[in-house]
Amino acid sequence: MSVIQLEDVVKRYDSGAETIEALKAVDFRAERGEMVVVTGPSGSGKSTMLNLIGLLDTPTAGTVRLDGRNVTDFDEDERTEERRSQLGFVFQDFHLLPMLTAAENVELPSMWDTDVDRRDRAVDLLGRVGLSDRLTHTPDELSGGQKQRVAIARSLINEPDILLADEPTGNLDQETGGTVLDEIARLKAAENIAVVAITHDEQLVQYADRVVRLVDGVVQ
Amino acid sequence: MAWRNLGRNRVRTALAMLGVVIGVMAIASLGMAGVALEHQATSNLGDLTNEVSVSPGEDIETDGVTDDQVETIRDVAPATTVIPQKTNGTELTARNGESAYVQVTGVTNAAPLYDIAAGDEPTRLETGALISESTAQTLDLEMGDPVEYEGQIYRIRGFIAAESGFGPSGGGELVLPVSALREQEYYDSVTVVTEDGDTATATANTIEEHFNDEDDEILSVTSFASVQENISSFTDTLELALLGIGSISLFVASVAILNVMLMSTIERRGEIGVLRAVGVRRGEVLRMILTEAAFLGGVGGVFGAVGSLAVGLVLFHVITGDAALALAWSSSRYLLYGVVFALVASVLSGIYPAWKAANESPVEALRG
Repeated sequence: MSVIQLEDVVKRYDSGAETIEALKAVDFRAERGEMVVVTGPSGSGKSTMLNLIGLLDTPTAGTVRLDGRNVTDFDEDERTEERRSQLGFVFQDFHLLPMLTAAENVELPSMWDTDVDRRDRAVDLLGRVGLSDRLTHTPDELSGGQKQRVAIARSLINEPDILLADEPTGNLDQETGGTVLDEIARLKAAENIAVVAITHDEQLVQYADRVVRLVDGVVQ
Repeated sequence: MAWRNLGRNRVRTALAMLGVVIGVMAIASLGMAGVALEHQATSNLGDLTNEVSVSPGEDIETDGVTDDQVETIRDVAPATTVIPQKTNGTELTARNGESAYVQVTGVTNAAPLYDIAAGDEPTRLETGALISESTAQTLDLEMGDPVEYEGQIYRIRGFIAAESGFGPSGGGELVLPVSALREQEYYDSVTVVTEDGDTATATANTIEEHFNDEDDEILSVTSFASVQENISSFTDTLELALLGIGSISLFVASVAILNVMLMSTIERRGEIGVLRAVGVRRGEVLRMILTEAAFLGGVGGVFGAVGSLAVGLVLFHVITGDAALALAWSSSRYLLYGVVFALVASVLSGIYPAWKAANESPVEALRG
């Protein structure tokens, strides 16, 4: 069973007089242990698709399934719980909180839980992305590549089934991007998780198990 | 985390906190000032609270309180000391050429009415005179010196201590045997000395009910206990007004907190979007921002309370002469009120920004 499935998904935005159809009857699926890269020009609907997969947004029509469960009509609180337990996010701008250390940033999603071993897990994850010696550094003391690796560690703190990456190498140079992608590919295999990444970056395409091209809201 | 968020813009946080400090100081200091004033006003009344003063009322037929009426007062107010007095005024001239205007009081049982600084404390004044210390000094009079009133000579047998605040002896006073004012048939006033303030109020009511009805006021009855109550009620009103003024400052401070929290959540819109995206619940975002607001209020409140305590110590020292009274619960409670008020006001101010941040769509928030 696919861990993520979009069936005939449509997303329309009303902006005053005109209606923009960002996604037009999109079908998409991803399996565990698979890295799917979604490419396409700007405005093709990549981010919209990632938001729908990430349960940050709801489709206008169609069905979204997680592990076979229909989550299309989940309300905001239910979607939050799904994100908390099933999904990990990596953003182009890293989005680390500047006043927290690397380890605290990794703990962030579970910071409100009364989970005593979350610090151990954060330390372990930072070790796995090669940042054992940067635990107490704040983001402004880290390089771009290190920040993105902290963000990857953060996305894995809840042991997700799906890792969603929005231009994960967009703000990194070629070499650092390569290191980060190696990391993602290794974790994908080790944790048996599905990775869905949207990108313009040809380098990322090389790491993909499958590439989906989106143009004008339609999967090519 | 809330604390570190506040630390991100220290100047803004410090200014918002300063607003709370000022607000709390305004509330607590003004509250304490009210208590200090009340304390001072009632301590000035001193022992007078156990006295009832009776004087001729508007509808009395005679030119003063009659002997019969004095006896009736003694009957209706047993277990009290009833002291009828006649009063007049005269000018005393001394051998050194100085003169002074004095109030002349004819009274038999003078001891309960006057603080005697030197000499006798007569309960039956039949000869001699008591005179105010200050007048005696002006006129260069000593113990045993003669004083003339209406052609009669009286020898000074005691000096009346200068009284502070309210009292029957405002300026200079000459106290003579009641026989000295025999030309006046009636008494000008009657003082009833009771055990305590409560008895004074009850006695005043009894006398009032006995002599007066709705239409006629034969005797005018005043108890100093009721004066004290009036002062208390006045200072309570004053305290409330002062607290009101103080609350305005705290209200302004809470608007500042609202502004700071709103700006801070707008600036951190993207971050809050990330929190929501990674599965942080709306309630948790709400809690985080309310905690920040509570920190602002709580820490500002504590600083404000410490400042107010210092102000309170100075106020009590200046107004009542005893700084330690500021620590008594009646005044120090305003410190607690200030802190609690600051906490409540800041949490209330945090609600809207927190609610706004927590309920924003994560997609919108992530766009920054």
